[in-house]
Amino acid sequence: MTDSRPAAAAPSAAAEPEMTQVLQVPQVAQEPQVPQVPQVPQVPQVPHLQAKAAALLLLLAALLLAAIGYLLYARGAFEPTQRLVLVADNSEGVLVGMDLTFAGFAIGRVRRIELGDDGNARILIDVPRKDARWLRTSSVFTLVRGFVGNTNLRAYSGILADPPLPDNAERRVLAGDAGAEIPKMVAAVRELVQNITLLAAPDAALAGSLANLKTTTDRLNGPGGALGLLLGKPDDAAKLMQILERTNALLARVDTLTGHVDSLVLKADAQVFGNQGLVPQAHTAFGQLAPLLTDARATLGRVDALLAEAQGVAANVRSATTDLGPLRAEVEASIRKLQRLVDQINRQWPFARDSELKLP
Amino acid sequence: MAANPSSAAGSGLLHATQAWLAGWWQVVHLGALMLVLALSAASHCGSRWPAMATQLVRVCLPMLPGFTVVTALISLVIIRIVTVTALSYGLSQYALEMLVRVLVLELIPLAAALYASLRATLPMAGELAALRQQGGFEALLSQGRQPLIDLVLPRVLAGMLTVMLLAALSGVLTLLLAYLSVHGFTLGGFEGFSRTVGRVFSPVVSLIFSLKVVLLGAAVTLIPLSAAMHTGLKRGAWASAELQSMLRMVIVMLGIEIASLVGNYY
Repeated sequence: MTDSRPAAAAPSAAAEPEMTQVLQVPQVAQEPQVPQVPQVPQVPQVPHLQAKAAALLLLLAALLLAAIGYLLYARGAFEPTQRLVLVADNSEGVLVGMDLTFAGFAIGRVRRIELGDDGNARILIDVPRKDARWLRTSSVFTLVRGFVGNTNLRAYSGILADPPLPDNAERRVLAGDAGAEIPKMVAAVRELVQNITLLAAPDAALAGSLANLKTTTDRLNGPGGALGLLLGKPDDAAKLMQILERTNALLARVDTLTGHVDSLVLKADAQVFGNQGLVPQAHTAFGQLAPLLTDARATLGRVDALLAEAQGVAANVRSATTDLGPLRAEVEASIRKLQRLVDQINRQWPFARDSELKLP
Repeated sequence: MAANPSSAAGSGLLHATQAWLAGWWQVVHLGALMLVLALSAASHCGSRWPAMATQLVRVCLPMLPGFTVVTALISLVIIRIVTVTALSYGLSQYALEMLVRVLVLELIPLAAALYASLRATLPMAGELAALRQQGGFEALLSQGRQPLIDLVLPRVLAGMLTVMLLAALSGVLTLLLAYLSVHGFTLGGFEGFSRTVGRVFSPVVSLIFSLKVVLLGAAVTLIPLSAAMHTGLKRGAWASAELQSMLRMVIVMLGIEIASLVGNYY
């Protein structure tokens, strides 16, 4: 720096140097006959200047390149994707860049939202190939708008064994809008409040019912009490009390009768199950009956043998009766032979008589 | 004949308005000149590289550690407050996105620009104004050198690169701190974190963010240097011009911030 400025070379202090004047090198300044020129500002020396400047520039370049690369990675520029198209009646709340989630994990990004020819919103989603395996042909997609927070796109795959979702598949998204339920809820609440107002009106049925209830309560607290309330007349209540007293007397008699029956049952028990009762005696009788039955069984065995023998005799008789037929035939044949022999002897014997009849 | 006071006041207001508009034009003109010179490799390479490197190292290097540490501490406090508050209200899934949007997109570029203007560009402009008052420009001109190339361009580029470097380094550091605060020292949440960051930095938002950083750097650099280039050479003139340049700078920064907010959220 210099403190001395020659009047010939320096402009006046009041004049503002224009930019064009600064850019143009005045010929006067280059003339050698200028006696003294201001000192040129010197650049201060910085140790390791080149290395430091290069390091700063390299740091800036590295930061910029790293930021660009990271943003490209973060936006999924380096991963292969497949396209999924979700069709919705209303794409309100859906933003480009929002996630499609499956089981809470982001598996896709909304890349574009367009209005289709049929008036439906078409949400174009890029799903990375490595995450596309969670989407199947049977997957269901929902669009949920909450009271607080952004809209959520969710995928549900119930059957993971189904075929995978093809590229450029188009699916209908099911919309669940919590905000849309508010008008319905408000209408229902309004109707409820109106009904409650009608019920609470002075001339409403509820007021009459409450008045009747008060009358009933008064009568309950009255002399007749609950019986007077139920029967209506005090005389009927007195009759009912008499009936109750008579019932009590009847029940006392029934108690006495029950005591008699109990003693009778005790006696019968002694007669039947006592030491000399029917049951022990019957037990003894059954014990004595057992040998008798054994003897009867033996007797019956012998009778069976006799019957078997009689059956054999009868069989023999049947066979003998069967042989009598041929024996009779033989006897008759022998008799006829004897008859013929006697006839022959009679004819040959001198005492034979002429048996021939002669006619006179 | 006495001068009419009302006509004098009107001419004064008109003169002030003309000067105000001329100041804006000078900023735009200087920006265009610097753009043309910056696109010409001969302006900052070769024999002119040492001057460029000197300004870059003088401006950027001293403030880089301090700004990074201060930004990291403030970011850590804000991250902690936002995550704890979001957790208490059951909205922790939105805390990370809010942190990225508030800190990285909005606060850090603005803080970097303000810090660079206070620590670098305003002192640079004061230095340039002093050089001009002391005849340094004429000395360079007398040697056939261009003050715009030798004195102004290195400072403009150094100021803009400083703002960009501060914003980039602090942004990356804030993202790292946000990840560590939310997920801890594990890589398990990296995919979800990246997905959130990717959702925030859509192409439009990224473009607006880049433009905002560059424009903030240009504003905090060009406006003070333009004032230093065009202020009067009288003693004390720079103090008034510096205030005016700070006012212009704040107006431009507010305009850039509002425009970026409109671009991002409307």
